[in-house]
Amino acid sequence: MMQYKDAILKAADYIRAHTSADDFTINGGYNNELHTRFAQNGITQHISGTKTWLSLSVAFGAQTGAAEVNELSEEALKNLIKRAETMAHMNQPDPEFVASEQARDIPKINNYSDATASLSLEDVVSGIQRCVANARGKDARVSGISQRFYGGHCIQTKNGFSGWDDHSTFSHSMTMKRDDVETKVSGSVKDFTTFDMTAMINRLNEQFDALSSPVQHHTGRMPVILRPAAVLDWLWYLMWMYQRRMADDGLSPYSGQIGNEFFGKRFTLRSSIDDAELSTPPFSDNAIVARNINWVNKGVIEEMRVDRDYAKLAGIPANYQANLIVDGGETSEAEMMKMVDNGIIVNRLWYIRSVDQKRGEMTGLTRDGVLYFEDGAVKRAVTNFRWNEIFYDMTRRILALGPSMLIENNARVPAMLIDGFNFVDVTTF
Amino acid sequence: MDYLSFAMDAARRLGADYADIRIQRTQTEMLYLRNLSLKHCNLDELYGYGIRVFKNGAWGFAHNTVFSEEAIEKTVKTAFNIATQSARVAHGTGLTLAHERGYIDTFRSPFSIDPFDIPFAEKIELMREVNQTMLRYNDIKVATFMLECRKDEKLFASTLDSRLDITTVYIEPNFTATAVTAEDSQSRSFREGGHAKGWEWIRSLNLVDKARHVAQEAIMKVHADSLGAEERRTLLLDPIHMSLTMHESVGHPTELDRVLGWEADFAGISFATPEKLRSFQYGSPIVNFVADNTLADGLASAGYDDDGVPNQKWYIVKDGILNEYGTTRATAPFIGQQMSRGCNRATHYYDFPINRIPNLYLEPGKEPLSPNELIADTKDGVLIEGQGSFSIDQHRVNFQFGGDMFWEIKDGKKVRPLKKIIYRSNNPEFWNSVDAICDERYFRTFGVSNCGKGQPGQRGRMTHGGALARFRNIRVGGSQ
Repeated sequence: MMQYKDAILKAADYIRAHTSADDFTINGGYNNELHTRFAQNGITQHISGTKTWLSLSVAFGAQTGAAEVNELSEEALKNLIKRAETMAHMNQPDPEFVASEQARDIPKINNYSDATASLSLEDVVSGIQRCVANARGKDARVSGISQRFYGGHCIQTKNGFSGWDDHSTFSHSMTMKRDDVETKVSGSVKDFTTFDMTAMINRLNEQFDALSSPVQHHTGRMPVILRPAAVLDWLWYLMWMYQRRMADDGLSPYSGQIGNEFFGKRFTLRSSIDDAELSTPPFSDNAIVARNINWVNKGVIEEMRVDRDYAKLAGIPANYQANLIVDGGETSEAEMMKMVDNGIIVNRLWYIRSVDQKRGEMTGLTRDGVLYFEDGAVKRAVTNFRWNEIFYDMTRRILALGPSMLIENNARVPAMLIDGFNFVDVTTF
Repeated sequence: MDYLSFAMDAARRLGADYADIRIQRTQTEMLYLRNLSLKHCNLDELYGYGIRVFKNGAWGFAHNTVFSEEAIEKTVKTAFNIATQSARVAHGTGLTLAHERGYIDTFRSPFSIDPFDIPFAEKIELMREVNQTMLRYNDIKVATFMLECRKDEKLFASTLDSRLDITTVYIEPNFTATAVTAEDSQSRSFREGGHAKGWEWIRSLNLVDKARHVAQEAIMKVHADSLGAEERRTLLLDPIHMSLTMHESVGHPTELDRVLGWEADFAGISFATPEKLRSFQYGSPIVNFVADNTLADGLASAGYDDDGVPNQKWYIVKDGILNEYGTTRATAPFIGQQMSRGCNRATHYYDFPINRIPNLYLEPGKEPLSPNELIADTKDGVLIEGQGSFSIDQHRVNFQFGGDMFWEIKDGKKVRPLKKIIYRSNNPEFWNSVDAICDERYFRTFGVSNCGKGQPGQRGRMTHGGALARFRNIRVGGSQ
């Protein structure tokens, strides 16, 4: 790995020495990747390789240009500089031009693990063999992917920002299916020594065994228990629209809501640089340094996403969503089922899209196992639903939270019991 | 140095059952203008090669950017080793590949003016003019313009002795005006999708005129009413809108890898299973879906796919009946097909080719029928233009779509604009409800350049098309 880091830093030195731009940002890195995909109990696709990239953004006055290459030869770097600079010279001044970032203190965060980086091809295939053997034991078929990454990312600017981050990730995802019963588990870690394939297979089996041929349930508003993976599914989409500029431009439901209790009191959403288990890139692609952020604190909007351009325009700090944490509670799923007369348990959400941006209305479906419960116990598996919901409004209907759990290497979220979830249609499976 | 031959010789020496190499240079120019501020201006180049080795019924794939005999030999060995390891968990008794032969050929997208020969300043000037035109309207608070130009130059060789030299180009201009009032914000866009054409296409579009139209309709839309609760209504869908609907509800369900369950963990599977072939009533008898990778400006038209299989034209749905799938050399044998339909495509040199939707369109109606005549023949309905919200389940049955512009039709006339309209339906209810399709004079295409699929994710491209069509008895209403 040192060879790639050295090559990228040497390329950055070359650019610094040869660009004539008034201002510049160099963004580069490498990723060594192993992707092993399996389907229907056999490996169908298997990829290995190292990707490198180097991008250069330049400015002459307020005229900007940018280019990117994936090779680091002198000829490629000369072309990179020429392309970015030519583009800037031909450009018109940007009325919202922002100079490159200055030197900053970058938090020291360890996102790298030797155990992950040294994971071999044979190890990964052996892990998949276990998953397939488990599925065969249940007369089922399993499909999924194991992925191992390690690499590094650097940013250097004319104005003194300089950072390098080493990172590694192992992720595993699998869906087991037999006839019309199917369910999925997935997870990722930065340190492979913390990954427990046995626990993941056990969780898959528990979910699988709880399901049976699903029957159709009626639509309408009803209580729902969203398991942590389902909560994370909608959080990504919440954050996509949770931009200060969109709010200030009148394009989202969050217009004029900074400082207001707009979400439910039980809902706290934050990013943290202090959670050692989470992968937390210490800086963003445009050199915003990660910090602790309360996006929503007990329902009150404290910050929305702000990029460097809008930070300058609005005179507010820029920020960066390095990871996501939703504070949890202590209610177990069994206790949640007793808190309402009946309801639906959802493993995951699927195909979430905006329906009405201004109102914040979204649509999507359930996926990978849906259960109906009544009188504190699961009664039967039910077919999937379509739902239309407004996320901020939904958080006002949170009745209980489970413990916050590491779901992916960049997110820690709890299960949620939500009242009056808006199921609008049913599927045939 | 003939790296193509060197790589294939190395694969043969190792004992590969089959191997291929793709040397690919991808240039992408992406420009994004928001309210006259250029937020993104990138000219990117990716160059490298990917080598596939097939051994003992399993695939291995490795990629590299270093062009030397030593690096290529090492990459071939890595791919071979991966294939050997993959065979430890073989799919059934191992994959087999559909029959194919070698080809020596060249292909070039039909463009006159290479978009990469157009000065950056000319592109920016056009984008600013479009932006300014929309911002001259007081109610338009946000105007954006995204322009993408892309060129792929690919050399392909295989152990079947194929040697292919393929250059494809496409351009995609998208712009949007957003009108904002105290109560609401609504957008209207110009979106024709990507077209495998040169800059001459952009010059023919009169984008500034279209910008005025887009801004005026955004303002009209923000002040429009919605509909009440969902009711069964008649829908008229324009070809741009329908391109997205057919992509999701016909294109993806008929990719054979999905049918076989290879996408079960991510993109999902398909309800259109093989026992339904040549018997399942997918649509009404006037519904014919044509797969056509020979389409002149189609984004999937490249002469050959990344299996080295020639582009072809066939029916996916014929006279309303599910007729065939989109297949690859690895998937076709599962349904007893001897040959692939040539739908295996990768996005970049480092991507493993996957089963992709071909260019796919709804055949125009055979009887003369214009959009005005179809509207005049509709007593009560909603006309949807352009693309909006879209969501479909992982078996590709249940879906909900929005749109970009909506018009109420009463007694054969467009009587008022509407907003926030969604419709819900399912396969096969939806395509079986088609009772009229305008004729070929009104056929239009839309190139999808951002079809997300695969793990790791790839951005595929293909072209769809059709003419204004009428759907009866669909659940339509205002949102929520």
